[in-house]
Amino acid sequence: MPETIESTRRDFLKLSTGILLLVNSVVLGIPLIGSFVGPSFRRPEEIWMKETAVSDLQTEQPVILKTSDEKVDAYLHETVVRRVWAVRHPDGDVTVFSPICPHLGCRYNWDPSSRHFVCPCHGSIYSIDGKVLGGPAPRPLDTLPSKVEQGILYVKWERFEVGIPRKIRV
Amino acid sequence: MKLLLWIDARWPLSAMLRVGLEEKIPGGAKYAYVFGSAALIVFLLQIITGIWQVFYYVPTLKEAYNSLSYLRIEVPFGWLVHGLHYWGAQAMIILVLLHMSQVYLWGAYKRPHELQWLIGVGLLVSTMAMVLTGGVLSWDKQSYWVVEVASNIAGTVPLIGDYIKPLMLGGPAVGQLTIARFFTLHTTILSGFILVLTVAHLIALRAAGSAGTFNPQEATRTGPFWPDQVFRDGLFSSLVFFTLIVLSAWPGAPVQGMADPLDSSYAPKPEWNFLFLYQVLKYFPGHLEPLATVGIPFLGTLLLVLIPFIDRNPERRPSRRPLAITGYIVIMGAFIAFTILGHYSTPGRTAAGSEAAVKSSPAASTVSFSNAAELKKGRQLFHSHGCIACHKVEDTGGTIGPDLSDEGNRGRSPQWIAEQIRNPKSHDPKSTMPAFSFLSRSDLQALVDFLLSLKSGTPPAAPAPAAPQRGDRESVSEGATPAASPGHQKAGEAAYILGNAGHGALLFNKNCIQCHGNKGTDEVPNPGSAAGKVPPLNPIDRRLYDPDPQSFADHIDLILQHGATPKGTHPALVMPPFGAERDLTQPEIADIEAYVLGLNHVDRARIMHPGIKPKLFIALAAGLNIIAWLFPAWVWIRGKHGKARL
Repeated sequence: MPETIESTRRDFLKLSTGILLLVNSVVLGIPLIGSFVGPSFRRPEEIWMKETAVSDLQTEQPVILKTSDEKVDAYLHETVVRRVWAVRHPDGDVTVFSPICPHLGCRYNWDPSSRHFVCPCHGSIYSIDGKVLGGPAPRPLDTLPSKVEQGILYVKWERFEVGIPRKIRV
Repeated sequence: MKLLLWIDARWPLSAMLRVGLEEKIPGGAKYAYVFGSAALIVFLLQIITGIWQVFYYVPTLKEAYNSLSYLRIEVPFGWLVHGLHYWGAQAMIILVLLHMSQVYLWGAYKRPHELQWLIGVGLLVSTMAMVLTGGVLSWDKQSYWVVEVASNIAGTVPLIGDYIKPLMLGGPAVGQLTIARFFTLHTTILSGFILVLTVAHLIALRAAGSAGTFNPQEATRTGPFWPDQVFRDGLFSSLVFFTLIVLSAWPGAPVQGMADPLDSSYAPKPEWNFLFLYQVLKYFPGHLEPLATVGIPFLGTLLLVLIPFIDRNPERRPSRRPLAITGYIVIMGAFIAFTILGHYSTPGRTAAGSEAAVKSSPAASTVSFSNAAELKKGRQLFHSHGCIACHKVEDTGGTIGPDLSDEGNRGRSPQWIAEQIRNPKSHDPKSTMPAFSFLSRSDLQALVDFLLSLKSGTPPAAPAPAAPQRGDRESVSEGATPAASPGHQKAGEAAYILGNAGHGALLFNKNCIQCHGNKGTDEVPNPGSAAGKVPPLNPIDRRLYDPDPQSFADHIDLILQHGATPKGTHPALVMPPFGAERDLTQPEIADIEAYVLGLNHVDRARIMHPGIKPKLFIALAAGLNIIAWLFPAWVWIRGKHGKARL
């Protein structure tokens, strides 16, 4: 076999081998990158927690509602108890507040005598509709998404950054 | 180029490349030599996919199976990463066997390649150990029995067996430390060992040179390793890789269901690679068993180790080595024959098997004496299997079938009654009574004893209990939509376990068929209930149905776990709380759920986040390969020297 034919054939084999390597690297690379990224940027599925019948709430009388919520962390399933504040307004609407004080994350209480929400940690005071009346709180109480279906109140659990004037979801 | 020179001045890059690529193969490159490099490529693929799985997998008894399920259905391309690893393991064994066969047939283990052969034997044994330890990590039904049987086999090793078994399990029985040990062995020690042996194997190859052809005339001509052999290796490895992708997409790695030591209905059988040993074991009864379990693998390995020292004749042509070739054919033939026999054998039905008695017809056997415990069991079975729905006994029960209150006085033989229960159509072809052919021999006997004890006027041996599984427990009313009441009843553990629908069918036929009918389609009467019949499962109540597998499983899980009492005055049949009363384990419930979902055309193991859908990915991989080949093919066709042989 003349030298030129041999070298052409070998060049062709080298090129083909290189292309094989390249193509298979791409074919393997796509799933490797895809599965590494995985659910990193996936938002957790939001679950509406069933709370109570709206008719059970007394008008202008804040109550703390306890619900067990299904917490899903990848393949771990855990039942956690959530507490939220609910206020039924005279027009029948319901506002649901996160129980976390937006100042530094303590749990505030309802003071029936003064009819204010009061945080025991640093003395932030909020009105029944969540407005800041006093203390170091940087913003009003955080409301949670809620809906009423067939007279039943449903709430979505969310958390927000504390200590800043803007309400930013964690 | 400058960078390469810079590196080369400080690290022998080009020298290493030369060592790796420059090699003269006696007789030139051949497709016969591709198996070794393909095994290496697949091993590298196993390392990569193995590492990738560890991003998601945790080696704990509770979460191993669920974490792997999560990878498979919730992580983009997780199905592919796991599938490649699963099928890659199978391919490894085949490729290693093919490679060794080629080396053996070519006589390439002979001087000066003895050490390379020995390292290869070490690689074979390590590969088998990898497959064994890896199979345990998925912690599915197969895994559990693999570890159970493998450790018991280790326990039969003479003298040291009693010490090896606890060391292997990390304790007296299979537990958390077992899975931790197998995980460590698989992911670090064994894989590291294989890596070291592989490097040693390749160094030996370069040191002793390629053995090349066995034909002395052909060996006078040589051909280069690069690119001639590398191209062939690459071509074959690409084909293997593509095959693994196809297998990962369809049929995919099997869904076995979570490991469950309590589930006695699962018939364990090893994977194909250990089937030969499983089959051979059957011919060694009792005390001779260690001869097969330990003796055969030991002798096999010893033979492989000794081959280059027994056969020192330099002759390499197969035609001049009749003994060696006959030996190969006999051993490989036996391996394949026993594997096939093992594949077609029925588990638990061996000549020596303890369950052999099951085969004998209960109708043909005589019914033994009855006692109070037997009668109580018979009565319970009469209720739990739903006989009470159609037949009246002890003043309760349905009226669809004949009243059996006086069955003991009718003069029927135990055999006749047993046959009537197992196969009602044998006595009356028009009978509408379901066949209870799945009853175990002892259950059948208890039922027959109970029926024969029923003599109107004679008080029963024990006070009649209330209908089972009804009463003070909290029950979900059947037909209610559990989804509408979240926060009150939660789905159990089983709802999150990826069940094995095939095994679920078996469990369904054992536990559910008597009330829900064959494949959940029959309308079994339920006197006293508002609906008058047991709710069908196929198709299931639309309020329970959900196209999303997880939601669907959540809905029916509530009922399987906590039971349900149908609306109505006195329903004869109630849904027992299988989970709450521990009648079924969580993995078993998960399997039944997967089966019920399947009956309603919902795949429990549906891939929720495939990345790219499996079949589309096959097309993509195939397309990329074809496009890549178009260019060299075009060059080849256009080239003046197109006659060049590939």
